[in-house]
Amino acid sequence: MVEELTVGETNGRANAALLAETPAQDGRPGAVYRSAGDRFLLAEFGPMELDLTLNFRVLGLNQALKDAGIAGVIETIPALRSILIHYDSTVLEPSDLIAAVDRFYAALPPVEDLIIPSREISLPLAVNDQWTRADIAKYVQFIRKDAPNIRDGNNIDYAAEYNGLRDAEEFVDYLMATPWWNAANGFFPGLPFMFPLDPRYAVVIPKYNPTRPWTPEGAVGIAGPCLAIYPVPSPGGYQLIGRTIPIYDAQQRNPAFAENPILMKPGDRVSFTRVTDDELIALREQVYDGSYTYQIGDGSLNVGAYLARLEEIKPETEAFKRRQGEAAERTPVP
Amino acid sequence: MIEVLEGGIQTTVQDFPGRQGLLDQGICPAGPFDNLAFRLANLLVGNEPGTAGLEITAGNFQARFDRNAVIALTGANMQPKLDGEPIALWRSYRVASGQTLVLGSVAGPGFRSYLAVSGGIDVPAYLGSRATYVPGAIGGYEGRALKKGDQLPVGVVTGYLDDLAGRRVKDAVTPSYTAEWELEAVPGPQAAPDYWTWDDYEHFFSHDWKLDRNSNRMGYRLEPHSWQWARTTGGVAGGHPSNILDNGYAVGAVNISGDQPIILCVDGPTLGGFVCAAGVAYGSMWKLGQMVPGRDRIRFKELSIADAAELARATEALIDEANLERV
Repeated sequence: MVEELTVGETNGRANAALLAETPAQDGRPGAVYRSAGDRFLLAEFGPMELDLTLNFRVLGLNQALKDAGIAGVIETIPALRSILIHYDSTVLEPSDLIAAVDRFYAALPPVEDLIIPSREISLPLAVNDQWTRADIAKYVQFIRKDAPNIRDGNNIDYAAEYNGLRDAEEFVDYLMATPWWNAANGFFPGLPFMFPLDPRYAVVIPKYNPTRPWTPEGAVGIAGPCLAIYPVPSPGGYQLIGRTIPIYDAQQRNPAFAENPILMKPGDRVSFTRVTDDELIALREQVYDGSYTYQIGDGSLNVGAYLARLEEIKPETEAFKRRQGEAAERTPVP
Repeated sequence: MIEVLEGGIQTTVQDFPGRQGLLDQGICPAGPFDNLAFRLANLLVGNEPGTAGLEITAGNFQARFDRNAVIALTGANMQPKLDGEPIALWRSYRVASGQTLVLGSVAGPGFRSYLAVSGGIDVPAYLGSRATYVPGAIGGYEGRALKKGDQLPVGVVTGYLDDLAGRRVKDAVTPSYTAEWELEAVPGPQAAPDYWTWDDYEHFFSHDWKLDRNSNRMGYRLEPHSWQWARTTGGVAGGHPSNILDNGYAVGAVNISGDQPIILCVDGPTLGGFVCAAGVAYGSMWKLGQMVPGRDRIRFKELSIADAAELARATEALIDEANLERV
C-alpha cells in the first residue's frame, strides 16, 4: 500500500520532495516517489546500491507502464534503479499517478520469474587505440600534467592497478570476459550506461578530475562500475579503454540505423571482440559505405537462471572484490 | 522561400513542443526556449501555435522574403525594420515578395526574438519534430544555426493574408521582461532533508542567483555555493554528496554538480549522476528563454505541484485567439 505523505503541500512539511513511499514487502524492495518538478515524478526502488536485479524490475515495470498507456503520462525514462515519469499534471494528479505506478509495481511477478527481452550485440574494440590516446595526450598537455590515472599516455595501466590486476592485458581480458548489460540510455543521444553481468569481472575505476574536454566518437570508457560508449565527440570523465564503431548516426546512413539513429536499447547485452587499429579503420569504412552488418542477435535474459548462476560463482566474486578493495586502497585517486 | 542575409549570433528553426517521448533514448526535446512568445507569434500569423518558426538569439538577423506572406515578431526587442521602416513587436504584418527584414541588437530586457511566418518554416521533420538541436546536429535546417545564404522553405498558407495581418496581442496578455526574474520552482527529487539541509533549501529559495555568462540552451549556470549537505558522501555513486546513482533528469531541473547549480534547459542532458534539488515550473519555463546570461538575476519562488499545475493552465490559457485584437 502506498503511504501518501505530503502531496500538494509546501512549507512546514517534513520532506520537500518525498511524496509517498511503499515499504519493502514479500521480497519486493521498497518504492519511494519523489517530486521532480510539476511535470515529472521520480519513482525509486530499493536502496541506492549497484544491484542489477533492481534494473530488471525497473525494465519490467517500465514495459508495464508503457503497455498500460496511462492517460496523462507522456513518457517514462528508466535508469539503473529508478523511473522518471513525464506527465501532465494539469490532467493527472500526482497522487493518482503514484497510485497507478504502485499498483503496477505490486503486480510485477517475482524478479526471478522475469524473462527480459535482451538482444546480444557484439562490437569490435581497438584497445588503447590511437584516437583515444591522442585525446589523452591533449589532456596531459593542456589540462593536467600529473594525473595519476594517466601512465604512458593511457588510462588502462592505472585501471589495472586500481583493480589489483596483473597488468593492462589482464584488465582487458576482464572487460572481454563479461557481457555488459545496458541499464539505460541517456545524457547524450543514445549513450548507453552498461554494467557487467558477470560480477567476477566487475572492475571499478574513479572518474577523471577535472573532466576531459575531448573524447572521440565511439570511445569506450569506464567510471565507477559503469561502461559507456560515446555516441558523439564530447567532453567526458570516464577512463578511456579503447574505441569501437559508431553507435549513433543522426543521418541514418547504415541500414542498422534505418529505423532509429540510436543502436542500443535498454536491456541489450554487449560483448566486445578485440581488433587492431587498422582493423577498426576497415570496419568503420564498411559502416560508412553501408556494407557493414551490425552483429545483433535476438534473445532474452532469464533472471531466475541468472540469479542461480550468481550464487554458484559467489566465492569467486567475493575473492575478486577483496583483491580489488585492497588494491583500490593503495592506489591514488585522480 | 526566405533567404537568410545574416544569421546573427544564433538563429535556429524551432517548433513546439519539440521532440517528445525520446528522453529515454537520450534525446532532449529542444524547441523554443521561450515557448510563450513563440506560440503567440504563430497565433498572430494564423498558424497552429506549435508550427516551426525562427528563434533569434541576441539579434543581428536579416532575411529577404521571395513571396507574399504575413509575419509576426515577438519576444525581445531587436528593433526590427521592414525595408528600413520600424515595425512593432507582438503584431502581424503583410510582407511583399522582395522585402527585407532587419533585426539589430537587443534594446531593453529579454534575449530572444521569435519570427513566425504564415505557413510556417517547412524544413523536414526529424524524429517527429522540426526543432533544431545544435549539439546533436539534428533537426531544423541541416541540424545547425542559420547562416548567410540559407534558403528556408515556407509552408502552405491557409488564410487570407489581409485577415491575418494587422492583428496584435492585447496589452494585458503581452509578457513583460526584466533583468531581475522571479522564477517559480517545485521541489525535488533530491532536496531537503535527505540530500540538502533545510538551510541549503532556504538559501536556494531566498538568494538572488546571478546567471553565469557561460549559459546556453543546454544549461543555465548559477554562481557556486558551499552547500552544507545533509550527508557526507555519495556512497557507491561517488565521493561527493552531490553524486547519486544516475537517474533521469527532468527538463528544467535545477541540478547541483558539486557546488554549482545548473538549470537543465530544453537542450539539456537527459540522465546523469548529480542531485536535482528543484524543477522550474512548467508554466514558467518560457522565462528562461528571455534571461540574459552574465547580467540577469534569478530569485526562485517555491510552488507546490498543485499551484504549479494552476500556473501551467494560466500560461496555456494565454495561447488563445481571444487574446488578439485588430490594430
